[in-house]
Amino acid sequence: MAAGPGLGAEELDLLEKSLGLTKGNKYGVQGERKTPVLQTNSGPSLTGLTTIATHLVKQAKKEQLLGSNAEEKAIVRQWLEYRVTQIDGQSNKDDIRIILKDLNLYLEDKVYVTGNNFTLADILMYYGLHSIIADLTVQEKEKYLNVSRWFNHIQHYPGVRQHLSNIVFIKNRLYTNVH
Amino acid sequence: MRLFVSEGCPQGLKVLAAAGASGAPVRLERLPQGGHTIPYLTRPQVLALHLDSGTFLFSPNAICQYFFLLSGKEQSDFANQWLEWEAMELQPAVSAALYVRVVQGKKGEEILGTIRKFLSYINQSLTKKATVYLTGDTESVADIVLWGALFPLLQDESCLPDELKALKNWFQTMNHLEPCRKAAESLLTPKGAQEFKAYLQKQPAPNV
Repeated sequence: MAAGPGLGAEELDLLEKSLGLTKGNKYGVQGERKTPVLQTNSGPSLTGLTTIATHLVKQAKKEQLLGSNAEEKAIVRQWLEYRVTQIDGQSNKDDIRIILKDLNLYLEDKVYVTGNNFTLADILMYYGLHSIIADLTVQEKEKYLNVSRWFNHIQHYPGVRQHLSNIVFIKNRLYTNVH
Repeated sequence: MRLFVSEGCPQGLKVLAAAGASGAPVRLERLPQGGHTIPYLTRPQVLALHLDSGTFLFSPNAICQYFFLLSGKEQSDFANQWLEWEAMELQPAVSAALYVRVVQGKKGEEILGTIRKFLSYINQSLTKKATVYLTGDTESVADIVLWGALFPLLQDESCLPDELKALKNWFQTMNHLEPCRKAAESLLTPKGAQEFKAYLQKQPAPNV
């Protein structure tokens, strides 16, 4: 199955709940890509998934999720951009394999996307990868071991997964010759 | 910190200009084409910032944002919106237009046709806001990023239609800013857009 074109407005509902925002904004969509649009009460509209997501984090007063210093903030922005430009709409099997291989190497020495702190980048990367990871075989989940470890960690992070399906990871390796 | 830019990489412009505009102390190193800089990425990278902590940044926009954050400038929702639009909509269109022009040798309307709606969008926003820059009266990371994306194409002014007055004014203002001028001087030679030819020839042909 091809990776979905992101979750759009539905994803922003998930994000609102995981941030503890109870009021619930209304979202429109724009253009062929169905880019989400938020009409704020106080001013002009905001367009784009990562732009609105960042705005929601500030609204929830959880700025630490955007990174705690310049370097961490830049890393969060980088992976948010990676999520919408590289992962979203990706349906080519070979390209998906490259994404998983690269992420697997990147996450080798990290608990979260930025290193040791849970951020918005973990949440949106998790939502964006959900349909891709759900399609992996047991053997592939072992091959991309660091991605699996990170993914499993985030899906158990309080409030993040919600109604998304729980993906099963086997703790004991079945294919020990796969490295 | 060390900034790696490969010869003729159009995205290098915005990053160099952002370093200049924010006063970030950057050492520029030229990368051979197809060089590998980032250990965890499969595809060759044409641009990377290696921080003193060991972290690599590979997204041109995130690098620009980092420089502005270092100088203590926090980013507004509107700057974020411009950057997301640039990465998702403008950059792919400009890269395709540049390819058509430099590699396939097409001119004028054929190129303009593919990017006119993006240029009109910027023009409209500038007209509506009636400010000198995209997010207000001082230049922000959004101006640098959009200027850097457009410069390789719009430096030949036949690609910039006269009726897009606000865009034209903004573009000329940006061209005269010192960090932008210096970035263009240090990355480009008098060859103009042909500078990017060797780089672009290695890219896949766009679907236009």
